[in-house]
Amino acid sequence: MEPVIQGLTLILDPFNIGLIFAGVVIGVAVGALPGLSSPMAVALLLPFTITLDPVPAICMMAALYCAGTFGGSITAILINAPGAPPAAATALDGYPMAKRGEAGRALGLAAVSSVMGGIFSLVVFLFAAPLLADIALEFRPPEYFALTVFALSMLASISGKSSLRNLIAGAFGVLLGTAGIHLTTGVERFTFGFYELTEGISFVPVLIGLFALGELLGQSQALNVTYERITSVVVKLPSMADFRKVGMTILRSSGIGTFIGILPAEGATVAAIMGYNEAKRWSKNKEEFGHGALEGIAGPEAANNAATGGAMVPTLALGIPGSGTTAIILAALIMHGFRPGPYLMQETPHFLYAIFGAMLMANFMFLGIGLAGAKLFSRITLIPRQFLWPSVFVFSMVGAYSFASSIFDIWVMFIAGVLGFLMKRHGFGPAPLVMGLILGKLVEESLSQSMIMFDNNWFQFFDSPIVVFFFVVTLLGLFWPVVRMVFNKLFNRQTEPS
Amino acid sequence: MNNPEKTESKAPVGEAKLPLIDRTDLGLTVVILTISGILYWLTMDFEKVADLFAQDVPPEFFPRLLIWTIVILTLGLPFEHLLLKRRGQSLTKERADRIEPMAYFTAALLFAVVASILLLGTSLSMVAVCMALPLLWGERRLKAILLFAIILPLLVTLLFSVVLGVHFEPGIFNVNMR
Repeated sequence: MEPVIQGLTLILDPFNIGLIFAGVVIGVAVGALPGLSSPMAVALLLPFTITLDPVPAICMMAALYCAGTFGGSITAILINAPGAPPAAATALDGYPMAKRGEAGRALGLAAVSSVMGGIFSLVVFLFAAPLLADIALEFRPPEYFALTVFALSMLASISGKSSLRNLIAGAFGVLLGTAGIHLTTGVERFTFGFYELTEGISFVPVLIGLFALGELLGQSQALNVTYERITSVVVKLPSMADFRKVGMTILRSSGIGTFIGILPAEGATVAAIMGYNEAKRWSKNKEEFGHGALEGIAGPEAANNAATGGAMVPTLALGIPGSGTTAIILAALIMHGFRPGPYLMQETPHFLYAIFGAMLMANFMFLGIGLAGAKLFSRITLIPRQFLWPSVFVFSMVGAYSFASSIFDIWVMFIAGVLGFLMKRHGFGPAPLVMGLILGKLVEESLSQSMIMFDNNWFQFFDSPIVVFFFVVTLLGLFWPVVRMVFNKLFNRQTEPS
Repeated sequence: MNNPEKTESKAPVGEAKLPLIDRTDLGLTVVILTISGILYWLTMDFEKVADLFAQDVPPEFFPRLLIWTIVILTLGLPFEHLLLKRRGQSLTKERADRIEPMAYFTAALLFAVVASILLLGTSLSMVAVCMALPLLWGERRLKAILLFAIILPLLVTLLFSVVLGVHFEPGIFNVNMR
């Protein structure tokens, strides 16, 4: 009980409540702005939070993460431009509903569904994270290696069209993580004579460059894009009849979202798409979908917000990020001197409860802010790009610089930005690369330790049932499309009339 | 002679036959393989350590493992469009348009700003980007630009330099707010 009280006391400090509130406001605003995303905002916030104590820093980021996921739905409903990818599915029914004069009802439903999904996942997070951490305490380097390989293989199904490109980006991220001094031998690798690289590539400039500068360069090609706007908005809470109609959808989507969130690397976007699809599949009024169905808003909104709490489970319990944004939160934890994983839970259990409390508080805050300020937040899309994106660059530049007061880091940010822009153009997402970079050290360390333990005998990996389990799941996950294709072909051939 | 009607009836409706290899992805594959080759070559230059000291895990072992993984995965890229097509997806549309000149100009401007930080100092570089980027992107309200170029760098400098204590490069004009 003591850690619970300790954790909750920490976040009830007025300064910390102020930070959580600031995180929520920034999150909703960033989520509402097309082009700006929660990973980008969390990356830009990273240098600022380094100056804070670990608990308020992580709580502020977690609050921003929750609110940013919801914020995207405001512009998805009002201007048919999802502020963030997880809200894309919400636009399918939210905007048609807004067009027929029910924008307020759609926004109210989106806010309430998001909060319910968020709270559901937080309850799961509270129980699942310590449980998972207890299991992970039994993990030795081989099990950790198998787990990280499994997490990296999950990048294949992260949002984006191409599994292959996600895997290549992830592997490239891990490769970037090998730059610097080799831990076992002290040999310099890929430092190109820059002493700044001897400790490895700093996360902050790479994250900022990939998420912020890459998007800025993309936005430079869309300066004339305008949005049709729904202006008359009086936000309404859903009626009892609405609740009866969408109650089961919210519950189902919350479960789906939480489960997807818990899976390493899968995030809110995948959850929202699945939430929408399942809402449609179970609906009695399938024909309403795409024309303003209530379940079409409740499903993805409950799922994408449920994924935020779910994604915190592997991040804190295993040290394996559950999504792109939690990868950055993981980087923040590492920078604050923590080693995320089971020992974090064992040594600082109050940390878990503080984050739980902060995310719970953030959910209620964004409900209030979202309902009261939806109209205002939709108006922030009126900020001209000509002023918005230079501001993003200024924060990127100062953010990249401030962590180590190094101009070298600004160059790293710039190069990462150009790389991110080119990668995105060719279908490589920045999130897999970031996850690879952050997991890189853990993969190499666990592999090296395993090889030393096994006296360089690879076959000893298969002595552990946990390792075998993770390897089998990894292979199944990677080759599932091929297996399914072969299975379908065989099945179709058998059922074809001769 | 072929009967064109008969040939057409065999093709799936609404499906154009795709080439086996996507040319853009082939180019991309060549670029990635070249980079991988260079990185592999760099691993051959890593300092050699005794096996006993390296405990059977030499420093080049893991990077090489990753490079081989990247190479194997990359070899599938030129054919990936066939799989995407089956799922009704394509990357061609996003890459069909050429990169707008504005993206090059923006990158060049940002490069110039980053390159001049040591000379101008952090605060003046922020002013420069706040003036130049809106102008480049077609903003012509000079008063608004001026106001923006003064207020934003001032606020950012106050927050980071004064409140958070970050040391900003003063540049040759020695502009430092602390």
